Amino acid sequence: MSVSVKDGVLSLAQSISCHAWNGDFSRLAFCPNDNSVHIYKKTGNDYEREHVLTEHDQTVTSIAWASNSNTLLTCSHDRNAYVWVEQDGTWKPTLVILRINRAALQVKWSPNEDKFAVASGAKCVSVCHYEEDNDWWVSKHIKKHDSTVTSVDFHPGNILVATASTDGKVRVFSAFIKGMDKRPEYTPFGKRVPFNSEVLGEYEANGWVHSVRWSPDGNQLAFCSHDSTLTVVDVTQGAPGIVQTVKTQELPLCDIFWVNDSKIIGAGHSCRPFIFENQNGTWAETQKLDDKKGGPQDNKRSAFSIFQNKDKMGQDNNVKTLNTKHKNAITCIQRGPNNQISTSSLDGQLVFWNV
Amino acid sequence: MANQPYLDCIRATLTASVCLQNFPSQIIERHNKPEVEAQTSAELLCAPVTISRNDKQMIHIETSVNSVRISVKVKQSDDTDRILCKKFMNFLNQRAEDFIILRRKPIEGYDISFLVTNFHTEQFYKHKLVDFVIQFMEDIDKEISAMKLAVNARARIVAVEYLKTFQV
Repeated sequence: MSVSVKDGVLSLAQSISCHAWNGDFSRLAFCPNDNSVHIYKKTGNDYEREHVLTEHDQTVTSIAWASNSNTLLTCSHDRNAYVWVEQDGTWKPTLVILRINRAALQVKWSPNEDKFAVASGAKCVSVCHYEEDNDWWVSKHIKKHDSTVTSVDFHPGNILVATASTDGKVRVFSAFIKGMDKRPEYTPFGKRVPFNSEVLGEYEANGWVHSVRWSPDGNQLAFCSHDSTLTVVDVTQGAPGIVQTVKTQELPLCDIFWVNDSKIIGAGHSCRPFIFENQNGTWAETQKLDDKKGGPQDNKRSAFSIFQNKDKMGQDNNVKTLNTKHKNAITCIQRGPNNQISTSSLDGQLVFWNV
Repeated sequence: MANQPYLDCIRATLTASVCLQNFPSQIIERHNKPEVEAQTSAELLCAPVTISRNDKQMIHIETSVNSVRISVKVKQSDDTDRILCKKFMNFLNQRAEDFIILRRKPIEGYDISFLVTNFHTEQFYKHKLVDFVIQFMEDIDKEISAMKLAVNARARIVAVEYLKTFQV
């Protein structure tokens, strides 16, 4: 099965819940909003289906592809996470015992790819690392959440982890694994950071928090919440840091991504991405991508179109189709090939943006 | 129409409410329920909003993380209206499955209710769902007025014919 990119848009399925690229952007993994994961191989502008992984029982919510070790991680509503290793041209799954009794919503590799964190509906985060002696993945829980954890992200230092939850709070914890991690010289939240579910930092959002991400240098933490705002916390000078909130006039953002240390791309229910930039210390929304000039219909033809609509659809008002590339909420943003950003949405399309 | 600010307000509120996401139940494992119907976790529910034009016409919007419940109270000024509305709503409710987003029973105090879940927003355009609800509200008012006129006209004709027999 082969598809090509047309005008920056790749139509892959009826609906896409999440996607991920491998290290050299030659392969794309995504879930078509069901219990399978499709892996496509990229050759220029064409994408060809290579594998279909069907180990999960329910919707796969998140895919994480480790760029160096080429290990694939998937988690799903069926409370499981699988680690996939490519052997002899096929992907072999290993079940990870997360010890959660509710759905897993997001999974992320740590920067050193030696451990990963899973956000779950069991109001906890499962941090898993590989134990050599038993040849399996061991999980430890970070509790202290009052509601489902929707998103999780590792700090570039490999020690701290930030979590976003539907209880309206973003929390920072330590995911320090004894015997695997070296004690950090410095973290913005203190030098002594043992793994004990202690909340190192807590930030309030006015609504459900959908996504949380650390900046590439680890000095800033950004999160988007359901009140259509993007909040950036600057912890360069240490915790708790300076909090800045950018209010948007659009529908809520579902996911955000740091393009670089002073630029964030956010996208969500408005079906188009927005760029937020740090100009002289203040964050603001600077650009709306996917700006098509001109509305769906010209003024000259509006009288004609009214009667046409009355005849065809029995309605007076103009039938508006969305003039954005994405036709439904954008749920996942990743760094894509050719230095572009790729966004996937519930309309089944993957779109590439030049940022 | 004088109704326009009322409908614009409803459109704006609904556009914001219909931003839903797939949310697995945090109470029962492997389940996925509309949280606005389950009403189990307070943090997943938004404060319900009532937009009313007057005390006879209002719309009640209850939002949650993965579902929205929209209840409409239709204008009914006299007994004929009430009977017509009741019969009409009954007719629609019995065919709720074909309507997809209709709820089989209206919420207490309202005449008709819709339940929109994240699965509906994945299938349909959000702005078309909102358009549908608003168009529906307008159409119901028009239909009931038309039916009332028809009933009254018929009643008059029947009465005239009947009383002709008593003409001297």
